[in-house]
Parts: sequence; C-alpha cells; structure tokens
Amino acid sequence: MLAAQIIINALVLGCLYACIAIGFSLVWGVLNVINLIHGSIIVLGAYLAWGAYQSMAISPWYVLPVAVPVFFVFGYLLQRLLLNRVLHAPVLVTLTLTFGLDLILNNAMIYFFKADYRKLTLKPPMGSVSLFHVVVPVDRLIATVLALALTGLLYLLLRHSRIGRAIVAVRLDRDAAILMGVDVRSIYAIAFGIGAALAGCAGVLMALIFPISALTSSSYLDKAFVVCVLGGLGSVSGALAGGLLLALVEGIGSAAIGPAYATTLSFALLIVFLLFRPQGLLGRKGFE
Amino acid sequence: MADSPIVELQGLCAGYGEIQVLWGIDIAVRRGEITALIGSNGAGKTTLMRALSGLIPTQGGIYFADDKDVTGDRAAQILARGIVHVPEGRRLFGAMSVEDNLLMGAYSRKVSRGELNRDLDRVYGTFPKLCDRRHQAAATLSGGEQQMCAIGRGLMSAPRLLMIDELSLGLSPLLVEQLVAALRALNAEGMSILLVEQDVITALDLCHSAFIMDMGRIVRHGEGAQLLADPIIRDAYLGVLET
Repeated sequence: MLAAQIIINALVLGCLYACIAIGFSLVWGVLNVINLIHGSIIVLGAYLAWGAYQSMAISPWYVLPVAVPVFFVFGYLLQRLLLNRVLHAPVLVTLTLTFGLDLILNNAMIYFFKADYRKLTLKPPMGSVSLFHVVVPVDRLIATVLALALTGLLYLLLRHSRIGRAIVAVRLDRDAAILMGVDVRSIYAIAFGIGAALAGCAGVLMALIFPISALTSSSYLDKAFVVCVLGGLGSVSGALAGGLLLALVEGIGSAAIGPAYATTLSFALLIVFLLFRPQGLLGRKGFE
Repeated sequence: MADSPIVELQGLCAGYGEIQVLWGIDIAVRRGEITALIGSNGAGKTTLMRALSGLIPTQGGIYFADDKDVTGDRAAQILARGIVHVPEGRRLFGAMSVEDNLLMGAYSRKVSRGELNRDLDRVYGTFPKLCDRRHQAAATLSGGEQQMCAIGRGLMSAPRLLMIDELSLGLSPLLVEQLVAALRALNAEGMSILLVEQDVITALDLCHSAFIMDMGRIVRHGEGAQLLADPIIRDAYLGVLET
C-alpha cells in the first residue's frame, strides 16, 4: 500500500511539476532564452492566490481566469520592452538580463510580503478521498486536474490554432516563418506571455500545496530546469513525462533514503541524463 | 498597367553584412509570364531571390513592385503584395503536418475558414499526392512530395508572382516533368512565375524569357527559345550536349 501511495503522490506532484515546466520549456524552445525569472513569476502567482483568499476569500480556482490575462500581459510587455533588445546577443546577455529581472522581482516580493513563509489553508478544509487505503487530499486532486487541463490547453493551442502554428513554425525555421509573413518579434512576445501566464497559473495552484515565500522561487526554477532536461525540450508531452519522472524519483528517493536526499537524487539524475541522453525522454526539434 | 512589369529592379545591390553579392541588378519580370533566372553556383541567384522577398536588406538601387517603390519593405509587406518566395531547400516545417504547412502559407491572409478550405482543395487538386499525406509530418515526405508541399504552401499565400528557388534540385526527371506541367497550368491561369533553375534546358524550355547571372551581375537577357539556340549559351551552359 505504501508503494501505491508513493506512486499516486508522484502522479499528483508530477502533473504540477509539468505545469511549472511547460512555460519554461516553451520560452526556452521558441526564444532560445533560459528564463531565470520563471521561478519568481510562479511565486508571484502563489502570492496572488494567497492574497485573494486572505482578503476576499476567493478560492484559487477562481483566481486562475484572472491570473491568465494578467500574467500574459506582464510577460508580453517584459519581452516587448526588454528581452527583444538582447535576443540576438550572446546567451550570457539574456541570462544576465533575466537574472537581473529575477533579482528585482524577487526582492520586491520580499519587500512587500516579507520573507515569512505563508500558508494558504482552505477553510473549511476540503478533506480527502481514499481508495484502497490510498489517500489524496481533495484540494491537491483539484490542483492536479487543473494543472493537467492547462497543459492540455497549451497542447491544443499549439496544435490547432493559427497563432500556435506560427509559434511552432518560428521555432522550427525562423526564416521560413518570416517568408510566411510571420512577425517574429510579436510571436516571441506572445510565447513569452504564454510562458508567464503558465508560470503564474502554476503558482496559483502551488499555493494550495507548498508554503509561499519569495525564497522558494529558485527551487521552482530548478524543478522547471530539471523537468525540461529529463523530458526533453520541444514538446508538451516531454514536459509531462519529465514532470512525472522527477516526481517519481523524488517520491521513491524520499521513501528509500530520506527526504533530505530527494533533491540530490533528482540532480544526480539530471547529470546522468545530460551525459547519456541529452535530448531527454521525448526531446524533439518541433514544439507540439 | 497590364504591360508594366510585376517586379522591376534598377541597379539593385545586396549582400550579407560586409559581403556584397549583387552588383547593380537590372531586371524586369513581365506580368503573366514565366521568367527564368539562370547561372552557375555562387552567381547570386538565391541572394537575388532573398532580396526580392525582403529576407535580406538591399544595399542600393530601387525595387519596384507594380510600379510602386517598395525598396526597404519588410518580408511581410512584400508578401502582402502577392510576391511569394518558395525557398531553396524547401524549408518546410518538418515536424508539422502537410496540412499545417499549407495553412502556414495562408498565415498572413485575412480570409474565412471556408475560403481557406477552398484554397486547400485547389492545392490538393494540383498535387493529389499531398492530399493522401495531409496528416503526415512534412519531414517524412519524399523529396518530390516536399517540393510539391513547398509550392503548395506558396500557393496558399495567394501569389500573383510565385518565385521558386531550385525547382528540380535532387528530383527525378519524371517528378520534374510533373512539376513543370503544374507550373505551366498555373501560368495558364494567369500567375506570373520567377524560376531559379540549375537545369538550363528545363528552364529555357519552360520560360518565356530568361536572365543569366554571373558574379552577382546580369550578363544576358533574352527569350527562352532564343537563348536556347544561342551558341554562346550552348557553349557555356549546355556544353555537354554538343558532343
């Protein structure tokens, strides 16, 4: 039964990890930018959920429809006004820029929300469901379903919409996309906006599960990075596979050798993948 | 207007950064005709195509489209004039399906889904093989099918001037014949075509008139049949056939 519980926990967590990583993966894949501000945007989303619940008792599920446009606009403007200027500069410049932006956003959050860990506790609690002695809290279950839904939405958007096709086309062959009349700068901004919206939404969902503090942003960023390497860049399914693998490794590792080593284990796995399977589980050139 | 060239260049210079490739190109592409651009490797044919479609900036000279000065226009603006570039090497979006590639061709057109479907059907009518493979990833097509897909994607942009770079490269003679027949049919419907082609006989046979390029300059211009009979051309480009 313990094994079943570990696997169910990993599935639940894995979907959330995937949700953390897809926006990061999209930006990395399409813009070729490693977006170091991603973790802080996730935390900002968590604070948004926390604030809405503390002040107006609005449940995180209802925050999502607001978070999507707000964070999209935030990301879109960030790209249009700042990142666009350095896009063709060497990779170190984009890293430095997103690192600096991350410092600003992160310290602003510490300033406004203090460094104390906050907790979003639903009142009354939603309880949990149990099946064959496997117990899952209901709020986590809902968060997982929503994370999966967001992942699925991105998949549909990229597969079946005009703008999605253009995003994939720019990733596959920038010059050919220009010949189709695609405005690459605007596609970059939209992709970055979508990435930020997904990060913000992931944060809203994470607020239900993890303590909230600006100090946790780097752990989210690390997870996004590991998931992308494990699953492979370039696909929504890759992020999902990477998220599930990471959660499984962490879950089994925690049970077998103690929670203190879970992160060590996941980064050891990262190194193994970089050595022997750098393209990840499902890495490919297109973004589907 | 009817007699004015669809595209005209006067002393056009272009290149890549510091490296100038085109040195004062003068050409006029006549409306409703098939025009060929011939020359050896490195003559600057592809660079000229890229300058015409706005992929690279011009460094001098004037570019007219429909008698309007479009020098310095971006690729999207030139595309909006119906000047469509099917690039060398096809440059399909390999991981995307054939149909998604075709739809990308229509990306910048503001048309209804119904009209898109009619255009898709027309492309599938021209190239029935694409219809069979519409849901397949473009990268899995054969070379000939890829070229059909690339031309089909160009057609989806609703071209008035279709510019095709290296139509026959790497294709079997039979496939080239099919493509040539398709181009003739499109031209008969009134579409102007500018063709870059390695295979000089195919090109001169197909085109109404041709420009011959060398070292980034236009060195000769004439009717296709006339150039085909020209001893100098035969010597320089068709030497093998003289034996």
